[in-house]
Amino acid sequence: MRSKEAGALAGEGRVREHSAAAVAGKYWAVFRTQLLNSLAYPIDLLGRSLLIVLFMWIFMNLWRVTYGAMGANSIAGLTLADTMWYLMMAEAVMLSKHDLSETFSEQVKDGSVAYLLNKPFNFIYYHFAAGLGDSLLAFGGNLLIGSAVVWLMVGPPPGIAGWVFAGAAVVLSWLLDFCFSALIGLSAFVVEETNAFRWIYQKFLLLLGGVLIPLDFFPAWLQTISLNLPFAWIIYGPARLFVEPSLARLGHVFLQQCIWLAVVGGIVWVIYRRVVARLVINGG
Amino acid sequence: MGRQFAFVMALWKTNLLSAMEYRVSFLTQVFGMMLNNALYFVFWIIFFARFEEINGWDLVDMLFLFGVVATGFGAGTYLFGNAVRLSPLIANGQMDYYLSLPRPVLLHALASSSNASSAGDFTYGLFSFGAAIYFSGSFGGLMLLRFTLGCLASIAVLISFLVLVQSLTFWIGNTSLLTRHAFNAIVTFSLYPITLFDGTAKLLLFTLIPAAFIGALPAEFVRSFDLLQLAQICAGGAVFLLLSVFVFYRGLRRYESGSAIQVRM
Repeated sequence: MRSKEAGALAGEGRVREHSAAAVAGKYWAVFRTQLLNSLAYPIDLLGRSLLIVLFMWIFMNLWRVTYGAMGANSIAGLTLADTMWYLMMAEAVMLSKHDLSETFSEQVKDGSVAYLLNKPFNFIYYHFAAGLGDSLLAFGGNLLIGSAVVWLMVGPPPGIAGWVFAGAAVVLSWLLDFCFSALIGLSAFVVEETNAFRWIYQKFLLLLGGVLIPLDFFPAWLQTISLNLPFAWIIYGPARLFVEPSLARLGHVFLQQCIWLAVVGGIVWVIYRRVVARLVINGG
Repeated sequence: MGRQFAFVMALWKTNLLSAMEYRVSFLTQVFGMMLNNALYFVFWIIFFARFEEINGWDLVDMLFLFGVVATGFGAGTYLFGNAVRLSPLIANGQMDYYLSLPRPVLLHALASSSNASSAGDFTYGLFSFGAAIYFSGSFGGLMLLRFTLGCLASIAVLISFLVLVQSLTFWIGNTSLLTRHAFNAIVTFSLYPITLFDGTAKLLLFTLIPAAFIGALPAEFVRSFDLLQLAQICAGGAVFLLLSVFVFYRGLRRYESGSAIQVRM
């Protein structure tokens, strides 16, 4: 009996192992398909990345004048070159993140969510895998073009450690951003219009996330508030890590991202289960 | 002229009645957009709290700038809602409807739809102008007149620019990416002080991306009367308006019908 049980449990374990691999393979296929889909239109991909040129040009004018007016080489420990490279990374993350909230809410409103929910994949994981495929290429394009422009303006980028550390943190940034997008998208089950939530979330990222201005330039009280909110760890964390890479900073950014992922991801999971349980689909 | 005006008024009334059918959605978008704009402006409050002024521009100047741009942008894209989606109408052959009726095609197409969120921009712009008056301590009937004139010029240039860019669809087909970039460029540049830019950049902002006519120039005119600036904003509005109408109707000759059955509700 004991050995039978042990055998059954071992068998179940193998089944679980197999299904975990199958699950990973399934979402890997979704990710790969989206990646290949984006790669099929390279001109479109580069075209999308041109927006970063516009933003970098405006930022360069704004901060060149500001540093000049202050007559200082550095503000809050950041030189003009540091600020520009920080803003380049912040914009690259912002412009490449895939906003799924609109897709989510459209699918809820037009009813197509019904077709996706009965497919053999998790609605949330499916969208994340597809979004990641899109974000990865967009991020590459933005980094390439953004770096070229900023290099021409202020000189060479930070060292290799900055690229590696920031690159690793950006993946968790997308995951955290995805959780917020999912929350906004899922709110379509409850409210009719989700655009307002989306705009306000974007503005939180622009301001408290540090896309428009490094949080280091904030007054101390606002800096403390911003660093205790999740938005800073989507944008500011990776961008600041890029210009001032260190293992201690990397550990801190990862810790903050993981804490917020657990909190926001947990909320998404609870809400998702509740709205799916409440969903009533009529027709056929 | 009177008939066309009555026709446009009827379209605007229909758009408003249509929006009122979804009152909660309309109000959510209006208040959401106002909050959205206010949050964006916080950046400038933080910026000027730390750096006081940039090349002669301070926080009050920014309030005037946001007042003119948001009011102009809001009114323009609310009253002529299709100005932001003209390109797909042309590319998908959906201009047939407007061509088959005895009304000016461009005016009819532009005014046939409105955006609820634009009403939020418009309202926010008025609040920003009110705050600018309060903090500058200067107000009078003439300033209100200058504000109205500045906003009208801003609307004329913005809508003309959007029509010009999207009219390229007649020649080069799909311009969705170009339209998106042009839209982002004109809105972003119009919300920054003109004094940040010099030489070639300034020339660009008065010609290829006429953001100066939408933001900085009318905002400076609203703050204090200047005959040269008045002439510039009037000439800018008139030139871009005429150019956009000319280019649109030239392009319309190349329009190909989608021959699709379209249902308008």
